[in-house]
Amino acid sequence: MRRNLLARIILVLVVLGAALILGWPPKKIPLGLDLAGGMHLVFQVQTDDAVEIYVDQTIGRLKELLSKKKITVGSFTKRQLGRFTLGQFSPEDEGKLQDLLDEYLRDWDYGVSAGAVNLTLKHAAERSLRTETVDQALATINNRVDLFGVSEPTIQRQGGTEGDRIVVELPGISNPERAMNLIRTTALLEWKLVHAGPAAEEAALLQGFGGSVPEDMEVVKGDPKKTEGGFYLVSRVATITGQDLSSVHLDRDDMDNPAVGFELKPEGSARFARLTGDNIGKPVAIILDGKVQSAPTIQDRISDRGIIRGRFSIDEVRDLIVTLKSGALPASIKILENRTIGPSLGADSIRRGLVAILASFLITLVFMVFYYRGAGINALVALLFNLVIIVGTLGALVVMKIPVSLTLPGIAGIILTIGMSVDANVLIFERIREEIKAGRSVPSSIGFGFSRALSAIIDSNVTTVVAAFFLIQWGTGPIKGFAVTLIIGVCASMFTAVFVSRLIFDLVIPRHRKVEKLSI
Amino acid sequence: MLQLFKETRIPFLKYKYLAIAFSWTVIAAGLVNIFFFRGLKLGVDFSGGTLIRVKFQEPLPISEVRSRLSEVRLGESKIQEVGSEDREYIIRTTLSKAQMLEQQEAGVEATEIMANRVIDTLLTEPDRRATQAGLQDISSLDEKSLAHILEPLLLEHAPAEARKIMDFRVERGIIRSWDELQGLGLGQDTLARLQERCYLSSLSVLSKETVGPIAGDYLWNRARLAIIYALLGILIYMAVRFKLAYGVSALLTLFHDVLLTLSIFSFTSREINLPVIAAFLTLVGYSINDTIVIFDRIRDNLKILRKAEFEDLMNLSINQTLSRTIITGGTTILSLVVLVLFGGQVINDFAFTLLIGIFIGTYSSIFQSCPFLFFWWKIFKPKKGMRK
Repeated sequence: MRRNLLARIILVLVVLGAALILGWPPKKIPLGLDLAGGMHLVFQVQTDDAVEIYVDQTIGRLKELLSKKKITVGSFTKRQLGRFTLGQFSPEDEGKLQDLLDEYLRDWDYGVSAGAVNLTLKHAAERSLRTETVDQALATINNRVDLFGVSEPTIQRQGGTEGDRIVVELPGISNPERAMNLIRTTALLEWKLVHAGPAAEEAALLQGFGGSVPEDMEVVKGDPKKTEGGFYLVSRVATITGQDLSSVHLDRDDMDNPAVGFELKPEGSARFARLTGDNIGKPVAIILDGKVQSAPTIQDRISDRGIIRGRFSIDEVRDLIVTLKSGALPASIKILENRTIGPSLGADSIRRGLVAILASFLITLVFMVFYYRGAGINALVALLFNLVIIVGTLGALVVMKIPVSLTLPGIAGIILTIGMSVDANVLIFERIREEIKAGRSVPSSIGFGFSRALSAIIDSNVTTVVAAFFLIQWGTGPIKGFAVTLIIGVCASMFTAVFVSRLIFDLVIPRHRKVEKLSI
Repeated sequence: MLQLFKETRIPFLKYKYLAIAFSWTVIAAGLVNIFFFRGLKLGVDFSGGTLIRVKFQEPLPISEVRSRLSEVRLGESKIQEVGSEDREYIIRTTLSKAQMLEQQEAGVEATEIMANRVIDTLLTEPDRRATQAGLQDISSLDEKSLAHILEPLLLEHAPAEARKIMDFRVERGIIRSWDELQGLGLGQDTLARLQERCYLSSLSVLSKETVGPIAGDYLWNRARLAIIYALLGILIYMAVRFKLAYGVSALLTLFHDVLLTLSIFSFTSREINLPVIAAFLTLVGYSINDTIVIFDRIRDNLKILRKAEFEDLMNLSINQTLSRTIITGGTTILSLVVLVLFGGQVINDFAFTLLIGIFIGTYSSIFQSCPFLFFWWKIFKPKKGMRK
């Protein structure tokens, strides 16, 4: 091993230099959510919603087709999800009906029995529908987070290309509630004509309609934060929806309160003009996710532009604009997991982590120098080297765009490495002591010490690496950060013990001079 | 040369029956506790539930926190104080899995609701009045909005002032009084503007974690797979590098370590959460490491001392590696003690698990793995000179 002294010096210097360059400045290593503060959210896209909507759409389309082809079908019954049944049609229409289904409803399997046709959404179609829904939700959330302006968010699908979960990580967010609302509002915006209301109770609302809701109407609630609350009776079908908007912007109403200004696409604008022209003096409800935001009275015929009023704060208007621009979510999303860490807890953890690293470093150092004297300094150099390599490797991962961040368990991994990394040195030093005791010369003791300790060093560290590797593979969140620093730390400690410590011994104790004593 | 152990000749194997009896008695007691007395507590990561950390403006005794939670039927929550000022608490609430699943079926995010209920009930009447009056809480306001509030007054200086207030808040966790803000050197008119638009909430939510039942199951599955694969990986490595006798002994030791740590864990009030699982795997890696060093020595000595009795040979090997075992264990334990003491509440369970784990790993590599190897050789009696 004494050969290639120069080559080894160069190797060690190159590693040190590379680690310093890659690791500097350490600030470029992003902090995990537990340190920087932020939100980790796991959503589940309710893809059942999308299937349900698709079934409704199919029934709607089918009704149109049937009336075009002059086939009368009396009943459409939805069964379980993705199934419905046609009934009450005359037997002679059955053939025509089957032809129609064959031609237009390719996504559906159907079976005819006893005067009824049972339709089932094909498995492949259902699957691709669900996947598309998640894709679409993913894109929408991406847009919203983008428009909201979060630095370095991660938005990922969990569980492969068919998974229905979306993981959103927003570091450094200081108003979690607002961010959460922004992401999860479905943002389905509808304009519906008001037939009665607002009324404090449903019964009062329906007085003029014989106590029950007419077929083409429905009851919606007023958003208690935005209106007086209460109930409204509105048309079932929306005149225009968020999809008809061509652009939205921040605007003011005549009282100078913040409002959302909008412009309509040509098709929507025609419908809106008809509605407003025919109903001057009546209120129209602006409904967001099933809650009435405001119900202004139509003053005049409006076609292509208008404002959405409500008691909005400026932030709410901004968020509403973001959600309208990014479009509605294709299905509702549910929170499965929400971890919100405030910035002050993160700052506290960083402080504590640094103190712990420093303290464990000092303790280990004092102990090693006290116990091994000169050789202890050797171990100290190796330890410092170790820390530099850990930071450098993390820096290299950042440079290579591999997602990595420093988490609190990651810091714990570094602390554990400080304790464990002396192991390789201890194994070597103890072996050298034994060899000296057995009467060998100092240089040959060093040689034997290193070569005999090597197998134990490798075997023992590999097991730790194996365990940590599976933690990275299967672990989640904080565990990953821990495993990453642990692996890097263990590898670094093997390198430093075998190369750096040895090099220092070789440099300090030249072979051709006789050395009687070794400070170990 | 400073030595802790000068040429020790401790007959470790003499205590093999005692050590085995001791360990497995504790394990048996632990298992009984786990299976019959619900000794293991799963944290919110796996059981689902909420974990909220709050800091109050003014000291509020734990009994008062509990009684307020009881008002919304969350009196069963686990409340843990942080620090000693009666101001900071960690509150854990769980629902039974059946309850949660039932609510989930109904489309309710039970854990989110529960978390908000905890926070709402801890707020005071003045807080609620202030929110209703449209005032904003400085202790939860973001920097941009704060700058926005100050803008009409301070114009281009608003962001810098907002930053100052925010830094102070991040450092303290909660702002206790307007006087504190005045201490930051804010102008009178700035303060007046803040008082007009904002209020100081009596509590600040430092962190809020909610894990629903589906997420809990998912996390538990992942953790389980991590453990299974890691153990398999270690096993395969052992099989490649060592003879069967060593591998089996090391594996038994490993089971011993995990079971013993779990048993001790079951007698504490600590909960198993994600980091604790990571700690378990780390201690497995460490314990194997320790065992390997001794086995490596035994392997070496078998080549040199062909005539020696098994027991003497093992004792010799343990003694030869003893100072290494103690020193490495010692520095690691010292590092972990530091982490337990200074690392803070967030990482305490993790650090504690590792700490007892390293103790156990060190103990077991001497008092469990060697006896296991010894018994294996007694039973299968390899011929002298053949043993490797």
